[in-house]
Amino acid sequence: MSIHAPEAGWLRAPSGGERLWIGLALAWCVILSLAMPYWHFKGKQNSTGESYRVTATAFMERVNRFIAAYKVGEEKGVAVVEPPPGSDVYLQASMWRWYPILKLKEGQSYRIHVSSMDLQHGFSLLPMNMNFQVLPGYDHVLTVTPTSKGEFTIVCNEFCGIGHHAMTGKILVD
Amino acid sequence: MSTITVGAAPVPVDTPAPKRNHAPGQVRICDTTGLPVCTVAERFIRLNAVAAVVFLLVGAICALLVALTRWPAVHLLDPVWYYRLLTAHGLNMLIFWIIFMEIGILYFASTSLLGTRLASKGLAIASFALMAVGALVTNWAVFFTQQADVLMTSYVPLRAHPAFYAGILAFAVGALLGVIDFFATLYIAKRDKTYEGSVPLVTFGATAAAIIAVVTILHGAIALIPAFTWSLGLTEVPDAGWYRIMWWGLGHQSQQINVTAMVSVWYFLGTVTVGAKPLNQAVCRGAFVLYILFINLASAHHILVDPGVGAGWKIWNTSYAMYLAVLASLIHGFTVPASVEVALRKKGHTKGLFGWLAKAPWRNPGFSAFFLSLLIFGFIGGITGVTLGTQQINIIAHNTLRIPGHFHATVVGGTSLAFMGLAYYVVPLIFRREYPLRWLARLQPYLFGGGILLLSMGMSFAGSYGVPRRHWDVEFTGAQFSAGFDAGAHLMLGVLGVGGVVAFIGLLVFILLTVWAVFLGKRIVNRPMTPW
Amino acid sequence: MKPAEDIRRQQQESADDHHAPGTLVLALILLASFAIYYFANWKALADVWHVR
Repeated sequence: MSIHAPEAGWLRAPSGGERLWIGLALAWCVILSLAMPYWHFKGKQNSTGESYRVTATAFMERVNRFIAAYKVGEEKGVAVVEPPPGSDVYLQASMWRWYPILKLKEGQSYRIHVSSMDLQHGFSLLPMNMNFQVLPGYDHVLTVTPTSKGEFTIVCNEFCGIGHHAMTGKILVD
Repeated sequence: MSTITVGAAPVPVDTPAPKRNHAPGQVRICDTTGLPVCTVAERFIRLNAVAAVVFLLVGAICALLVALTRWPAVHLLDPVWYYRLLTAHGLNMLIFWIIFMEIGILYFASTSLLGTRLASKGLAIASFALMAVGALVTNWAVFFTQQADVLMTSYVPLRAHPAFYAGILAFAVGALLGVIDFFATLYIAKRDKTYEGSVPLVTFGATAAAIIAVVTILHGAIALIPAFTWSLGLTEVPDAGWYRIMWWGLGHQSQQINVTAMVSVWYFLGTVTVGAKPLNQAVCRGAFVLYILFINLASAHHILVDPGVGAGWKIWNTSYAMYLAVLASLIHGFTVPASVEVALRKKGHTKGLFGWLAKAPWRNPGFSAFFLSLLIFGFIGGITGVTLGTQQINIIAHNTLRIPGHFHATVVGGTSLAFMGLAYYVVPLIFRREYPLRWLARLQPYLFGGGILLLSMGMSFAGSYGVPRRHWDVEFTGAQFSAGFDAGAHLMLGVLGVGGVVAFIGLLVFILLTVWAVFLGKRIVNRPMTPW
Repeated sequence: MKPAEDIRRQQQESADDHHAPGTLVLALILLASFAIYYFANWKALADVWHVR
């Protein structure tokens, strides 16, 4: 029994149903371990973690330069920015908003740089939903291609203080 | 010859006359199982079990209030108290309740199963004192300084009052002392030849848990000491990404201790409830070894959508390395029920494929808790966990309610429910008191298991709509840009709420019955416990 | 029919005690559920925006 010393000669190979199951489980684990590298090469959604060191001040400057270059309007006092396809896009997370509003084109690729000005934040794009971690000191680059049109909301899903649940932003795609 | 008569037909087991190393008068033979109980260890098993249930109660009250807040129709707490109680809930459940229980299990698995005395009473006292003080200090920090609303993970640069970190660190050191006492006990048992041959399977599993515990506690120290010194103003803020990796070295490994302890408890309960015998000890032990070797790498699955670490690192750790630990769980997921099936078939329940299952002792709360724990952990917890821990799938799941949906199935429906099943034997065998209201005790695992199942499903489905975890307002009132979710998500949050209430009732029943039994239950003197 | 059934029953009864057919079926159901859940998630993932 499990609470007594095992019988002599307990070190033996599995047999019968046990052996079959171990074989099946092992085969399934092999399939599982091949799935990720497969998707890494063939799939269209990957989290490669491309990132660079950056200070909050430096990142803020890049955001401001980005807005100055490509601003096309405002919504509720927040700049709406339309960058050219293929370019570097800057999105800042801070307590408690995502800034600025991005205007992208469906089917085009953009290098979106996200960083935090203060605490950790969770970039969560709805309704798809797509989720990435945003850290202060890290410029997290997401090479994104929108595949649908419309108005999309960004919410925060990493606790960042008392305004966390009111932290929202927007991405527009046409 | 000793026999086990607990809930099963007596099975004679040949035990050669063992040497005993207890001081005179410090060992008694259990009237139910025939196992020797070191009375010194027994005192500490009791202390740790009582402490466990105290913190379980605190965590449970937090759980109810938090669940009633996430249920949008109720939305009970204000945001400050929601985040505060969520912090307290995580700490009291995932760290304090469960580790107090595990230290108790280590003392039992070493002393009673190897027939030895506890190596050091001094270590056991120091361990318990540090753990108790640590848990109290951290709870005080959360509830009374009101400067520790940082959630259990305390991700820098979120900063808590220094007492928050100090309490957890003290608790961790205390737990480490208990683990050291366990290893020392294994050593003196071997040295004094109090048992022959290999250690019993449950002890082997407990040893695996203890080894993982050492790795876990080391990570905890590495992550939390710099955060603690920063909170005191002595050092710079730790790097956010580095802290996450180190913290999850504590966080995920502690889950693997919970899994390993849970599986050991499954084997134990299988034996005492139906007389199950492991089919192949080499397979079971090998699976435990896989846990030790590979789980450290698997904690990378918390970092899958982080910056700072590349795809290669993410894939290696959560793929090749993790799946060997997954294989171990898949193995135990077969060997444990298979041993129960074989035992029940031997008793004559051979009708068809599942006659044995129908005739299993479902009225025995030790059995029902154990088997429900197995089913919930395997089907819900395991499947969701491996899937969510896939580098790419994590993109549609990270920080949504799918994550708590997963871990409430594993650590609550799995480990905690199994520990409740264990309590239905620990109280009669170690506290030597009978449970009152036995009909209610029989019902309790179903109440709790059913509630957790609903809770977990509600969370998982709501999360798949994108509903965030650790979030006070699913309607984003007051946000600059409006956001929200479909009716389907709201319905699922309602399921979460209802499940939470049912689970709380099941939990409260367990706590009340256990406390009543321990202090007022009918004493068991010189006779076996009343079988369930 | 009858004699064949008897022989089969006898073979089962005298078999190794390690037979757990019910558990094997439960485990296979687990594996099937796992595969379904896993591939359903890949499908869901394929429907979101492209990201690298």
